[in-house]
Amino acid sequence: MSAVEVERQLREACAEVDDAVRLLETPTPGSLDCCAHLLEAAGQRIAGFQPQLQAAAGSHNARQEARRLRSSVSYASRLLEGAASLYFHWSRIRDTICAGYTPRGEPALAPIRNRISFQG
Amino acid sequence: MANLLTLLASTASTLDAYGRVLETTQNNVSNASTPGYAKQRLPLAALPFDPNAGTPGGVQAGALESSRDQYLEQAVRRQTVSLGAQQQLVDSLTSLQSLFDISGQQGIPKALNDLFSAFSAWGTSPNNQATRQAVLDKATVLAESFQQASAGVADQEQAATQLISQTVDQVNHLVGQLQQLNNLAMAGNNKDPGLDAQVNSTLENLSQLVDCTATRQADGSVTVMLNGNHVLLTEDHQYTISSLESMPVSPPPVYPNAPPGVQVLASDGSDITSAITTGKLGALLNVRNQVLASYLGDAYEPGDLNRMAKQFADRVNNLLTSGNITSGPPPEMGVPLFTYDGSSDATIAQTIAVDPSVTPDQLAAIDPAANVSNGIALALSQLASPIDAADKIDGVSYSEFYGEMATRVGTALNDAKGQVQVEQSLVAQAQSHRQQVSGVSLDEEATILVEFQRAYQAASKFITVLDQLTETTINMLQV
Repeated sequence: MSAVEVERQLREACAEVDDAVRLLETPTPGSLDCCAHLLEAAGQRIAGFQPQLQAAAGSHNARQEARRLRSSVSYASRLLEGAASLYFHWSRIRDTICAGYTPRGEPALAPIRNRISFQG
Repeated sequence: MANLLTLLASTASTLDAYGRVLETTQNNVSNASTPGYAKQRLPLAALPFDPNAGTPGGVQAGALESSRDQYLEQAVRRQTVSLGAQQQLVDSLTSLQSLFDISGQQGIPKALNDLFSAFSAWGTSPNNQATRQAVLDKATVLAESFQQASAGVADQEQAATQLISQTVDQVNHLVGQLQQLNNLAMAGNNKDPGLDAQVNSTLENLSQLVDCTATRQADGSVTVMLNGNHVLLTEDHQYTISSLESMPVSPPPVYPNAPPGVQVLASDGSDITSAITTGKLGALLNVRNQVLASYLGDAYEPGDLNRMAKQFADRVNNLLTSGNITSGPPPEMGVPLFTYDGSSDATIAQTIAVDPSVTPDQLAAIDPAANVSNGIALALSQLASPIDAADKIDGVSYSEFYGEMATRVGTALNDAKGQVQVEQSLVAQAQSHRQQVSGVSLDEEATILVEFQRAYQAASKFITVLDQLTETTINMLQV
């Protein structure tokens, strides 16, 4: 694989991660699912050409693309943590409101973990 | 048996009744009435269950909705305060960076290089009048460059001080607006959605400036705290903050002539500067009291610009005074080239100058110890690429030391620019999450949380893998 091809593959992986970043701005479970697929695709792409990376060793442009990819991955990671923080903190508050506190003063787990329905 | 929810809807519409039913079905939603947690008890309401009519039943939360709204508003504000800080950092550091040229085409680095070249030329022709005059001229330019850089940073300090004062006024103004809204809420308008929107919008504006937390009270008013510790507003009482330049008293200042720091004071006069670490005001305080002070000094540090000016002037003067102007007999001793106000190490860069009484003839080129006619001139030219520790500052050459100062601003600016992009996305993310909210159904929400957790774990796993793959890729691409 030539350096130019490595560069192209890295650019495409980066574009996939950037798409994931855009999805992460709307942190619904659905968008997170799509985001996971994109991240997986980017990972597979990189893993696919990594054995042939020696051909591009020393290529300035390929290195630049790889650094841009790292920056995008780190960006996605921050947004994913942001999304998690939004959901998990709310989950904690919600649990506290629903179930109060444990004797140790921690939020008790809300027992509702699935849909509630009654049949008579 | 008829379906239970339908029965409940018709016969037991109260929440307590619903709670009892849930208890009997061993569904621990009854924990909503945990003793001692009365204020946050969750009022549950059963939704009609009629599959034929398309109503799926379930549980709807009442107070939970407002709790979540408040949580999401707070989440948006939390991200906004970080964005405000990073945006202000970018603005302030962009101005500062323009003072620290690293191209070598202007300012201190150019003046330094030119002076080193002049020393070198003088070393080659130690008795040439033109090369001696060039040393004086270039040294004068370097001293002026230090003065200009010092004045430029001082201007930045002045501008930051002014901005801090304006930002403090803005904070007081916004809290004043919230005070008026509190009055309206306490007058019985606390259910007015328009009023609620105004409160949230004002709080969002306030959170760009300072880290504030807002707690809604039973009477509809909001209590606003600065950094969770200092009350800015409670009911109809506003506690204004103020700013002033002052030199700390304890511990006693080491450099009393250094620029004073800026403090923010609470309404009772107590110093709350350290509590303001983020938002626009936090960033301005950081730039004013930390970043700029690292160049120009403060009560306890002389500042890198002053250190560099002093050490360079002292080293050049030491070399020149250790040399001879003429061999004699009797030999004529060298004179110092640079002068500065020695009363404080924190004002060297602004007062450094070439002694106007020194003439080209008075530059001492002769090294009497080695008996070399151009020994001192050569030693001065060695300052460009020093080997001797005495010719270095903090273990590096003067050019490198300056480069590190300039790089510090550049790196901080780049980091802040990157952070702005991330923070903008995080604000957008929190806003998007807030907009998705409409009505609350506990069971739906529980499902969303479970789905989210699963999706998060998957995405998180891929991020970790990608991170490792990228690192390996970068390593493999190195020469």
